[in-house]
Amino acid sequence: MILDLHTHSVRSDDGRAKVDNYCQWIRKKELPLDGMVLTEHRQWDDTSDYRDLEDRYGLVILKASEVETDYGHVLVFGVNEDLVNSFDFARIDNPLPEVLAAAERCGAFAAPCHPGRRNVGLFAHYERKGVVDAVHTVEVLNGGSIPGEDELSVEKAAEHGYRGFGGSDSHIVSRIGFCATEFDDTVTDIDGLVAALYGGRFRAVSLREPV
Amino acid sequence: MLFEDVELGDELPAEHPDISMERVVEFTKAAHMNFPRFTDHEFARKEGLPGALVPGIMSQALLATMIHRWAPGCRILSLDTVFRGHVVVGTTPTISGAVTDVDDDERVVEVDLTLTAEDGRTGVMGTAKVAFSA
Repeated sequence: MILDLHTHSVRSDDGRAKVDNYCQWIRKKELPLDGMVLTEHRQWDDTSDYRDLEDRYGLVILKASEVETDYGHVLVFGVNEDLVNSFDFARIDNPLPEVLAAAERCGAFAAPCHPGRRNVGLFAHYERKGVVDAVHTVEVLNGGSIPGEDELSVEKAAEHGYRGFGGSDSHIVSRIGFCATEFDDTVTDIDGLVAALYGGRFRAVSLREPV
Repeated sequence: MLFEDVELGDELPAEHPDISMERVVEFTKAAHMNFPRFTDHEFARKEGLPGALVPGIMSQALLATMIHRWAPGCRILSLDTVFRGHVVVGTTPTISGAVTDVDDDERVVEVDLTLTAEDGRTGVMGTAKVAFSA
């Protein structure tokens, strides 16, 4: 199954997409997505309930977070109360090793996103500050990347032996599904997603229309 | 474009608007915002920018113009933009749009809007609500 692991809704300060509109767009455009993960910026959204939309559109809709660290942005899947109390999701300079350690300790899965982004991505930080040993997985395909950035992510991820996933990083409806992640196993809930990510049976896929 | 012809998923015809220095200078004069960061590449670079920048309200105007070209006579009820990256004067950006929701009762559609800079980076993105007359 294919999930877009990196999307933003109006819950994010710079998001302009309603989740309902994401769903109808996926169906209207016949995108090969089985669902999406909402990764709202610097917060854990513990109030939104998308089960009705899941049923109406036959899509998996999960919630996660995109937090900010001293090595760039990081997606965190499987957020729970323990993790929320482990570090400040609203901060923009959380130490990356602490975020990765907290996620693992709390049964979540954390991985840097758009690591090939110039100046602000993980690999740019590696050049300046050295490698963080605890990183094991990165987002190698990001729908917001410009030419060259994803190529760098793929190359550097291979160099470091990291696994790679994909996400659109959509902030408006029409950009969902540019990139996504194909799983060998079926994922229906957040625990299943975390298990699938730790299991490593997935790959990044680009779903952009050829130019 | 008539409301009856609009469908979810429709794409507005993409455009490459003229953001030459000449046009930007004209715009800043008309808008009474003649600041050198919009009209002087050297000054802008000294401020740490990649060059003179297209004013945000000019980007919004270009997006609004695209909507009106697509649907002459429509009313733009709202235009909500996020400025994501620099749009440098004298480059060739692409503006595009897509219909993401259609309200048949109100005859209002929601449109995604994007201004993509020449290097592929998103300069401006947002949404608009557009009303059609009965």
